Amino acid sequence: MTTSIDTDRQARIKEIVCDVLELEEDEVTGSSLFKEDHGADSLRAIEILAGLEKEFKVTIDQSELERMVNLDGVYAVVEEAINAK
Amino acid sequence: MTLSASAPATATRPVITAWSAVSPFGIGKDEFVAGVLAGKDASSALDSEEWAGPDDHACVVPGFALREVLGKKGTRSMDRVTGLAVTAVRDLLRDSGDRRTASDEETALVLGTTTGSAQSMMDFTRASLVGERPFYVDPSLMPNAVMNCAAGQCAIWHSLKGPNTTIAGGRVAGLSALSYAGGLLNSGRARTVLYGAAEEFSNARAWLDHHRRGEDSTGALLGEGCAMFMLESADPTGSDGRALAEVLAVESRVYFGDDLREALAACVEGVLRRGGVDSGDVWAVSASGPAGSAGEQEREALAGRFGAEALDRAPSMAPIGDTAAASAAFQIGSLLSVAEQSAAPGGGVALVSSVDDNGVVACAALRLPVS
Repeated sequence: MTTSIDTDRQARIKEIVCDVLELEEDEVTGSSLFKEDHGADSLRAIEILAGLEKEFKVTIDQSELERMVNLDGVYAVVEEAINAK
Repeated sequence: MTLSASAPATATRPVITAWSAVSPFGIGKDEFVAGVLAGKDASSALDSEEWAGPDDHACVVPGFALREVLGKKGTRSMDRVTGLAVTAVRDLLRDSGDRRTASDEETALVLGTTTGSAQSMMDFTRASLVGERPFYVDPSLMPNAVMNCAAGQCAIWHSLKGPNTTIAGGRVAGLSALSYAGGLLNSGRARTVLYGAAEEFSNARAWLDHHRRGEDSTGALLGEGCAMFMLESADPTGSDGRALAEVLAVESRVYFGDDLREALAACVEGVLRRGGVDSGDVWAVSASGPAGSAGEQEREALAGRFGAEALDRAPSMAPIGDTAAASAAFQIGSLLSVAEQSAAPGGGVALVSSVDDNGVVACAALRLPVS
């Protein structure tokens, strides 16, 4: 059975992303791009990935970084990782 | 034709032209100068909510909340020793302003340390061991677990592109860094070197010190901070008046066992000889004064050679506690503080002595400017 990602989880993901990118939560939208809009680099992307793995007790393959370019992408990747557990 | 390995002794002596301090007296050189000259006790009771070490008192930098001092950008994962060093370098570059003529590419950075941040190293290792998976760690904290993190961050923050060096040397680290900095200038690797030393207070360091401290130094207070100096080749004309002190010589020796007096005496003679200093010109002698027998032996050896009054002319470092790797750098700052107040005779020589119970002693001779 698959579950879609709930709002609590989305809020927690956003918190982790904003912490890593040193942003206020109102500066980020679902589609704003981490790299182009928020100045993130590859190390920040890895930090986001590792933070999510730890928080949700999942394993995310580094190839997923290609999709984790904005919050919407991250929600989708985390949802799949949770469902794959 | 004769080749000689030794250059004319006076041609290559570097000069200190600016400095900064982040110390238990506060953030800023002026706070350090006022505090060290007044000899005011900088220890305070530790907040048990914030600290969980064995000591209830320490000499921490007051108000050093890293993200308040340096801002929220780029500081999320910065550890304390890095923050102390980045702040001291920031103040040094700000206060020296246009006096630095070297470009960022020509500016080197040399930082003395004991072991980087013991706290960061232990935290990172612990996270991997106690987490559900060994890789459930925060990768942004990994660089903090490396000894040269602080020096590297100083260069990144302040766009310094010259050689970047970390020297782990315990209490003598500040003098080792000075010696190395002089080498960078003499070899043409840099035109300006920012050198100094940093040490943080942390639970990890307090526990390590607690367990290795001998009975003779029970109750010693730990201190922390960072002092940074700008080192440049002396202007050949000597007429620009920028020099706060001329570095005549730096020497170090090692000793075995518990008696450092012989090694320190040899080190002192070595520095006088190499610096071309007549012992009668030595006006002040700053002792590192570690707690216990090492400190007692140091004082005995120096007082026997130069007299107690020479020792008393240098400010006591006891008010800021055991600042470990930063101690010798703070000693240099304390002598420059005395010189700044015009209390020193122009052209007088000040000695810095540093002893560590790990088996190393070091000395530096500085000539204060003729004002």
